[in-house]
Amino acid sequence: MGHKHPPTNDSPALLREQTHRIAHLARLELTDEQAAMYATQLSRVLAYVEQLRALDLEGVKPMLHPHDRYGEPVADDPREGLDPGVVRRLAPESEGAFIRVPKVLGGTEGGGA
Amino acid sequence: MPDIASVRPIIGLEIHVELATRRKLFADAPNPAHDEFDNADPNTLTDAVVLALPGALPVINRSAIEHSMRVGMALGCQIASVSRWDRKNYFYPDLPKGYQISQYADPVCGPGITNWPINADGSNHTVRIERAHLEEDAGKLLHELPGGGKIDFSIVDLNRAGTPLLEIVTAPDFQSAEQVVNFARFLRNVCRHLRVSHCTMQKGHIRFEPNINCELTLADGSTVRTPITEVKNLNSFRAVQGAIEYELREQPKRWAETGIAFAPGTKTTRGWNDNSMQTTLQREKEEANDYRYFPDPDLLAIEIDAEWQERVRATVKELPHVRTGRWASSYKLDDRECETLIDDPDTADLFDTAINIVGNNHAKTVANLLLQTGMKLAKERGTTAAALGVSAEHIAAIAQMRDAGDIGSGAIEPLFLASIESERGEEPRAAAERQGLIQVRDEGALRAWCRSAIDDPANAPSVADLRAGKQQAIGRLIGAIMKSSAGKADAKAAREMILEMLAE
Repeated sequence: MGHKHPPTNDSPALLREQTHRIAHLARLELTDEQAAMYATQLSRVLAYVEQLRALDLEGVKPMLHPHDRYGEPVADDPREGLDPGVVRRLAPESEGAFIRVPKVLGGTEGGGA
Repeated sequence: MPDIASVRPIIGLEIHVELATRRKLFADAPNPAHDEFDNADPNTLTDAVVLALPGALPVINRSAIEHSMRVGMALGCQIASVSRWDRKNYFYPDLPKGYQISQYADPVCGPGITNWPINADGSNHTVRIERAHLEEDAGKLLHELPGGGKIDFSIVDLNRAGTPLLEIVTAPDFQSAEQVVNFARFLRNVCRHLRVSHCTMQKGHIRFEPNINCELTLADGSTVRTPITEVKNLNSFRAVQGAIEYELREQPKRWAETGIAFAPGTKTTRGWNDNSMQTTLQREKEEANDYRYFPDPDLLAIEIDAEWQERVRATVKELPHVRTGRWASSYKLDDRECETLIDDPDTADLFDTAINIVGNNHAKTVANLLLQTGMKLAKERGTTAAALGVSAEHIAAIAQMRDAGDIGSGAIEPLFLASIESERGEEPRAAAERQGLIQVRDEGALRAWCRSAIDDPANAPSVADLRAGKQQAIGRLIGAIMKSSAGKADAKAAREMILEMLAE
């Protein structure tokens, strides 16, 4: 399981490069100035997380959730879906009954499923 | 580069099964993988959770967990006592949240093992299951309008978004395309019989993704492995077979041309083209594979205690291939008959229930009723034999009458129709009497019909042939008897009586 702390001792240049990479994965376009700004902000976040490393956590079970209880699955009873007119109004653009989006290039249908 | 002396295929399989729950996995919106909501208009099966509206929180569907447990139990998997949810992050227009809720570390079903008769000769082959985990399906991204109109943008239907998907991952234990296809068929039948999915291939209810590579033994005795290819989203057995066979042919050639062998970062994703029967490169896997999994803070872990497991286990009955094995050995059904009857779980149940009523010695007749008249009527009406509406009791009654010689083969279809069409279903015996379908077994009447057939000068040549030992000549005499009795004579009894009378 990859729930490891991200490395925090990276150089500013490396952080900028990682910021660009994360932006690409989210299909966001950043200018170099924006990337530098986010890299600075992210490094502060990571530095804060780094403080946790000072603690001795030997033998402490990872806490994956603040609640110490289990979820309650619900019965298999559906409710009617939202009015499709509402759905279309929530979308920036629509085409007939569909939501319209820019043509996606360089990907495969279904993404990572 | 030394020549390739031999090729050993190494194939693993990922299977996505859309579970036929009524509600979605984490949302109250209806699920299009359930036949109740199958034909919904685009974007009508959504709600705040599906659309990822601010503040919406996922709530787990109990049935989805239980369906997953059923499949896991059929695959011999360990069922987790605690199962958790993770976010798999990727950006795509068919995924409103920007992440998919999946299970990375603690899936519902852990390692398992199957030993099913998937070899060409019917013998068993062991396939290990690595895991089976639950996740949400994405919506549908379309690149042309319904009906094929060209567009320079894409359109999204979110009906499928949030449908529960069970992803089953096998170890790379297959050695041929045939083993994979047989396993895929078995698994489809298992999911249908456990009533967890309709598994309609054309609707994408079950999709296969083989991971394929080869171990090449070279002329100098050394071995090398080719890079792994994952072929995405195959939804026919023909495509599974074609894609694997194509890759097994091409990979040794690719290696000979490029020299690229298996190593981290060499795995690629390919798609299948049904027309050219070839795979085509989609993406270099490692580039797109940074999903940044982390535990979903919106969802608590679920506890699956022993009591819940046992309750679900009690619903996992005889698996389909065990059932057909029983039919073959106890009822002497052949492979084709078994395959046809097992294809639809309701028809399989109808078959077993009717036999329970009428007794094992009528099993072959029950099978024939369903395979001939049942399947014929089902085909005409575009449905299954079970959905015709002829009850197990009526099928049992028809089988009994047929085996007792009370009715001829020509009476079966009218009796099915009477059962289907009359209100509440007319009892087969009452229907047979009303329609005059009961064969006359009054020996006096039969003797008279036989006598007049033998004595009829028109039949004299047939009688002579029969006396001379030509058995097939009896057909004309039986025809004459059926005609003069208006179909009420029992053909089998008539045959015996003619032979008896001619021997006197």
